[in-house]
Amino acid sequence: MSPITLILIAIGLGLLGWLAGRAKAWSFQTGDAAMRPASRPIYHAWYVALWVVLPVLAFVAAWSVIAPNLVLQSVLATPEAQSLTGFGFERNAFIGEARAVALGQAPGVFNTEAEPLIAPFRDAFARYNTIGIIVTVLIALAGGALAFLRLKPQFGARTKVERTVLTILLLASLVAILTTLGIFASLVFETVRFFGIVSPIDFLFGLKWGPDILAPPDAVDPSRYGAVPLFWGTIFIGAVIAMVVAIPLGLMSAIYLTQYADPRVRAWIKPLLELLAGVPTVVYGYFAALTLAPMIRNVAVALGATNASTESALAAGIVMGVMIIPFVSSMADDSMAAVPGAMRDGSLAMGATKSETIQRVLFPAALPGIVAGIMLAVSRAIGETMIVVMAASQAANLTANPLEPISTVTVQIVNLLTGEQSTDHPATLSAYALGFVLFMVTLALNFVALRVVKRFREAYE
Amino acid sequence: MTVIHPNMADEGAKIRARDVCVFYGEKKAIDEVSIDISPNYVTAFIGPSGCGKSTFLRCFNRMNDTIGAAKVTGLIELDGEDIHGSRMDVVQLRARVGMVFQKPNPFPKSIYENIAYGPKIHGLADKKADLDVIVERSLTRAGLWDEVKDRLDDSGTALSGGQQQRLCIARAIAVDPEVILMDEPASALDPIATAKIEELIDELSGRYAIVIVTHSMQQAARVSQRTAFFHLGKMVEYGPTSEIFTNPIEERTKDYITGRYG
Repeated sequence: MSPITLILIAIGLGLLGWLAGRAKAWSFQTGDAAMRPASRPIYHAWYVALWVVLPVLAFVAAWSVIAPNLVLQSVLATPEAQSLTGFGFERNAFIGEARAVALGQAPGVFNTEAEPLIAPFRDAFARYNTIGIIVTVLIALAGGALAFLRLKPQFGARTKVERTVLTILLLASLVAILTTLGIFASLVFETVRFFGIVSPIDFLFGLKWGPDILAPPDAVDPSRYGAVPLFWGTIFIGAVIAMVVAIPLGLMSAIYLTQYADPRVRAWIKPLLELLAGVPTVVYGYFAALTLAPMIRNVAVALGATNASTESALAAGIVMGVMIIPFVSSMADDSMAAVPGAMRDGSLAMGATKSETIQRVLFPAALPGIVAGIMLAVSRAIGETMIVVMAASQAANLTANPLEPISTVTVQIVNLLTGEQSTDHPATLSAYALGFVLFMVTLALNFVALRVVKRFREAYE
Repeated sequence: MTVIHPNMADEGAKIRARDVCVFYGEKKAIDEVSIDISPNYVTAFIGPSGCGKSTFLRCFNRMNDTIGAAKVTGLIELDGEDIHGSRMDVVQLRARVGMVFQKPNPFPKSIYENIAYGPKIHGLADKKADLDVIVERSLTRAGLWDEVKDRLDDSGTALSGGQQQRLCIARAIAVDPEVILMDEPASALDPIATAKIEELIDELSGRYAIVIVTHSMQQAARVSQRTAFFHLGKMVEYGPTSEIFTNPIEERTKDYITGRYG
């Protein structure tokens, strides 16, 4: 109950502060032009409200961490807790049960030993809730009073409020960055642990992948952690097969849409094409696994292939390519649209036909942007998970035959981390190492691609 | 009603336009303009902004075709051939009627490739040696050869604005056109580069029929022998440049020349 209640109290008091601030600010309005207040009443109102709410929010954030510990400490100090039997795990279970009952989350105790602890828990919760509410109200009143007393006709409430809002916006944007850093840090940490067991050389250059989940963690065979087949599978499906599909189709559709299509046709086709990017990848996944893969196998068998698999790299790659088409085409579309019209006119005025102009002037001029678009598409394809989990294989084969089963980095990560795995087994840790490599590769691709796009934009501005 | 000065009757016409109208959707941008463009002179189109002089110029190589909403009616002949006729391919027309734009627009290719672009497309040179000759001749005629002969592989976009515009003129010359259209070719350039372009126009006149659109009356007076004054989509007056500037017949021309509006 506590944090929500406290926040509601703060908001209620904040509203009062808002009204009080505005009322006081209204009294500054004298109608005398020379004595006009520095800020409008609304800013005074917000100034007071922010001073009521923000300190309380800071307190609530801290309190919601501290309070449960304070409760626990005070319960453990009671004679009932001192006389509790059992040790470690068992003892913690009793305490947890008593707490749940005290909070009303459980109807009764399972272990009778927990029974005597319920009353102390209830007392402690009641005590600290009261303390929390009192402190909240005190902080809110203090903040509000402080702000209220500072309101004067010449007080620059607007700049103060705007600066506060600016800070809040900054914090919001920091959340995303800090999350990324956090993810990166945890990846690095687990990866280092993995490399303590299996050497990076074995991992990055080994040709055989088959982590032995059942082997005891201290008797690991490093030769089973060679990730080359996975890297190859990822590149083969995401950067070769998918791109063989996506690059020609994407570029041709971009050329059609920017250069030839009637504006009315374009208005219909472009959104439809971009709709492809909005299809959930799991839907692509079962299309690949249930429709395309058996079809490819049947065709291959009919043509005389003996080793055609229903989990072929081809099916996953083709469907992934289709998924990527909108990325390639919209980047190519943007890049060609960014080529100045004067260049197209110049070529047409030389007597070049439309297709000569596209091939010899527009396309070369747009090439950096198009290449960057393809790099972004590749980075997206190699990080794509759902399609390959459903359509590609678990078996990590090192083969260039698109009809054979091939596995990818993302498929293995999913396999290794789902189900009941021991968190410190090298097989589990290897998933982090795979994720780390994938992260670095896509980061590099994105970084280079965005730089190319930026330089390309500058060239025409 | 157009006033045509009497003493320029039978010069022969490279381009003959009769009752040409251009519509942008509903809007009539050019209203029944008829003109004969002499093969031997530089013809200048002058007039206030939005008077339609650029639109009319773009009729001569059918560049208005590239604007979906634009529609051209009336007759335009190049050496007596209807440029909208079934026997005239727009690709051939544009090879015969070259164009230089307001803003220099070299292709993002090397200087050499910029010049070689047209000859390659039109199949004017089979061998590299022939192409080399065309490139050198075009750049020489455009007065750019000495400045760029040592760096033909540099990008055309790396040149200065004035050099870029001369590169565009050289590019137009390379396919050996009969007419060169220039749409305010110096308006984006500094005075020194402008002077070079004007000098170049002077040197090229006689070899090619040149039509230049300009917003600068001094420029028209300096480079042209024939001047047409446009206003609100109509051609008001057309005659020898000296006559137009010193002795205009129409009141509106006089007002524009003397700076009453524009």
